[in-house]
Amino acid sequence: MKSSLLRQALILVALAFIPGIGQAIYYRDRVSWESRVPLSELVTVAQAKSWGQNALWVDARPDTDFERDHVPGALPLNEDRWNELLPQFLAAWSPEKKVVVYCSTQSCNLAGEVARRLRNEAQIKNVFVLRGGWEEWLKEKK
Amino acid sequence: MKAVPLIFGAILFVVLSATVHAELKWEQTTLELHPVIGDKEAVGHFKYQNTGSTPIRFKSVRTSCGCTVAQSQREEVAPGEKGEITATFKIGDRTGTQVKTVTVETDETAHAVTVLSLKAVLPQMLSINPAFVYWSANEEAKPKAISVKAAKDFPAKTLTVTSSNPDFLTKVEPGNSPGEWKINVQPKQTTRATAAALTIRPDFPKDSPKLFYANVSVTGAPAMVQ
Repeated sequence: MKSSLLRQALILVALAFIPGIGQAIYYRDRVSWESRVPLSELVTVAQAKSWGQNALWVDARPDTDFERDHVPGALPLNEDRWNELLPQFLAAWSPEKKVVVYCSTQSCNLAGEVARRLRNEAQIKNVFVLRGGWEEWLKEKK
Repeated sequence: MKAVPLIFGAILFVVLSATVHAELKWEQTTLELHPVIGDKEAVGHFKYQNTGSTPIRFKSVRTSCGCTVAQSQREEVAPGEKGEITATFKIGDRTGTQVKTVTVETDETAHAVTVLSLKAVLPQMLSINPAFVYWSANEEAKPKAISVKAAKDFPAKTLTVTSSNPDFLTKVEPGNSPGEWKINVQPKQTTRATAAALTIRPDFPKDSPKLFYANVSVTGAPAMVQ
């Protein structure tokens, strides 16, 4: 009787470990991450593309990444050279434009930071962050 | 009765695993840095020691942004050995409090990934609000104001402002209290698109005053930045 109870207890403990072990193996290379950009400020590639000429694309990645490749027509604006690059962006901006800022991936924070500064410092409205960033743009392009 | 050797075996396994292990103990996983005016970068040192009995190998050291570079002194850490990961954050034109992370992956079985956090509190010098003003095409060319406020530990007494484009006139007025100013900007016309960068130069630090910027434009047709 006692050994049966012990066996059952061990089986239950082993079963309880299975989902945890599975998750640990599946996500072993990933660090938990949560976007700091509110959902209302995110925009999908399809949505941003649907804005056509009304969208002003902003590349928040480092200069080297921008030089390698970028969304056609996008302007570079990163915090390494913010003061130098901002005038070029503002010259292309007009109040009716929707600004779409992107960086490399969903988990990078550069686009969120650039979007925050455009809203808070330059007081520009309609500033969005591209969901999934450059990686997502490349996927949608295929 | 058959379960007894099994349980004994399991306990023995756990005990043996605990004695033969590798463990990287970090002195701290979060660092707060306070760079001063004029600093181009902020450097953090994350110190560690292998307190286990087997060597530990670094598999990767990744940073959360291209503005931060992290380096490990060595690839493998012997038992008892100490070392550090150096994280260098390039300040650039960033403002406010910046938090960057360094993800360290080792071959430890129990704790393979450690996230180190580097917080840089950048010195607040002047707040410029708004940093951009504009006039729509054909809007009345009235002056608009930009407020400038010096931080408590930024003892600027005066400001000078220059415009990169003569299409805009600027005038600096003192604000309501010391360390506050109002920059009045006025375009000469609003019939064609034009833009300018305003360079704001406080009289501090005396030897090499830090420059700040605001931008102004008349929107409409394609603009020219001068």
